[in-house]
Amino acid sequence: MAEDRAKPCELDQEKYDADDNVKIICLGDSAVGKSKLMERFLMDGFVPQQLSTYALTLYKHTATVDGRTVLVDFWDTAGQERFQSMHASYYHKAHACIMVFDVQRKVTYRNLATWYTELREFRPEIPCIVVANKIDADRKMTQKSFNFTKKFSLPLYFVSAADGTNVVKLFNDAIRLAVSYKQNSRDFMDEVLQELENFDLEQKEEDVPAPEQHGSTESPSSS
Amino acid sequence: MMCTAKKCGIRFQPPAIILIYENEMKGKSRQRIMPVRNFSKFSDCSRAAEQLKNNPRHKSYLEQVSLRQLEKLFSFLRGYLLGQSLAETMEQIRRETTIDPEEDLNKLDDKELAKKKSIMDELFEKNQKKKDDPNFVYDIEVEFPQDEQLQSCGWDTESADEF
Repeated sequence: MAEDRAKPCELDQEKYDADDNVKIICLGDSAVGKSKLMERFLMDGFVPQQLSTYALTLYKHTATVDGRTVLVDFWDTAGQERFQSMHASYYHKAHACIMVFDVQRKVTYRNLATWYTELREFRPEIPCIVVANKIDADRKMTQKSFNFTKKFSLPLYFVSAADGTNVVKLFNDAIRLAVSYKQNSRDFMDEVLQELENFDLEQKEEDVPAPEQHGSTESPSSS
Repeated sequence: MMCTAKKCGIRFQPPAIILIYENEMKGKSRQRIMPVRNFSKFSDCSRAAEQLKNNPRHKSYLEQVSLRQLEKLFSFLRGYLLGQSLAETMEQIRRETTIDPEEDLNKLDDKELAKKKSIMDELFEKNQKKKDDPNFVYDIEVEFPQDEQLQSCGWDTESADEF
C-alpha cells in the first residue's frame, strides 16, 4: 500500500489546469501505429514513461506556440485499448485527441465509431483529429473518401509513421488545437466537473477525515 | 567453404531438414541431411529453426537459408505430428504469417498480438526512412486533397445514417 500511495503523484492531473500544460490523448485499435507515430514525431527527444499499473505510456514534449512555451503530455495506450474502452481518467482533462486507424485494416476504421462515442461521452467538445496511418503501405488509400470524418466534420490526416509523411504536421496541429481549445473553451462539461469537484471537497470536509479512497469498497453515503 | 543453397525441405520420417546445395564444384548438386532431434508437436518452431541455424555442424551450410524458411519447414513437421493434413497446415501457416485485414487484433492475447506486430514491422522497416539516412527529412508535408471527385473507401455502410 505504501507503494500505491507514492504512485498517484506520477499521474497528477491537476497540472493540466495550469496555463502552460496541455494533455493530448491517442485513441485507436491495437497495432494501428499509435506509438510508432509518437516516436517518429519525438525522434530521440523522447523519454516515454511507462505507467504499467495504468496500462499507459506518457510522452513529455515541450513545444512553442505563438512564442509561448507549452508543456505537452501525450497519453498513449499500452494495451488498454484491447478492451475497446479506456478508463475514465484517460480522458480526464484532455485538451485534444488524436484518433488513429490503419489504412490496411478495415476493422480499425470501423472501430473508430466506438472510440469516438466513448471520447464524446467524456469530452464532448475537445478537438479531435482522425489519422489514416500506414499510407506507405497503400498509397491509393489517400485518393479515397472516408464518410466517418465527414459525418462528424473531423479533420483527416493521411500519414505514415514509417516514411514520416505528415507526422510532424499532425502533432504540431494537434498541439495548436489543444492550446486554443484550452484558451477559448467554456466547455460545459468542464464547468460541471469543476462544480462537482468543489462539491466533493465541501462534502469531504464535513466527513470524518477520510484516508485516501483508493480501492475503497465503502458504499457511497446516501444523501 | 563455398556453398550455394539450391533447395531446402523437410522429411517427416525420420524427421530431417534436407538441403540441396552446390559447392566449389559447379554443376554438381550435393545433399545434406540434418536430422531433427527432440522435436515434438509441442515444440516451438522458431526456436527449433534458430537452434538448427546456429548448430556448429550445419551453420555454414545454412547461411543462405533464411530463418523464416526453416521456421516454416518446422511448422510443416509440427502439423504432421499433430495429425493435420498438409492443406490444414498450409492454411495455418498462412494465417500466422500474414495479416487478415478483417481480423480484429484487439481480440488477440499478448503473444499473438506481438507476432502480428512483428509481421507488420517487416513492412514498416522496409519503408522506414531513418534519421541517419542521407536524404532524411524530419518534417515532410504532403497534401492529399479531399474533394468531391474521390471514390469512397468502400468501408462505410450503405445506410446513410451510419458512416
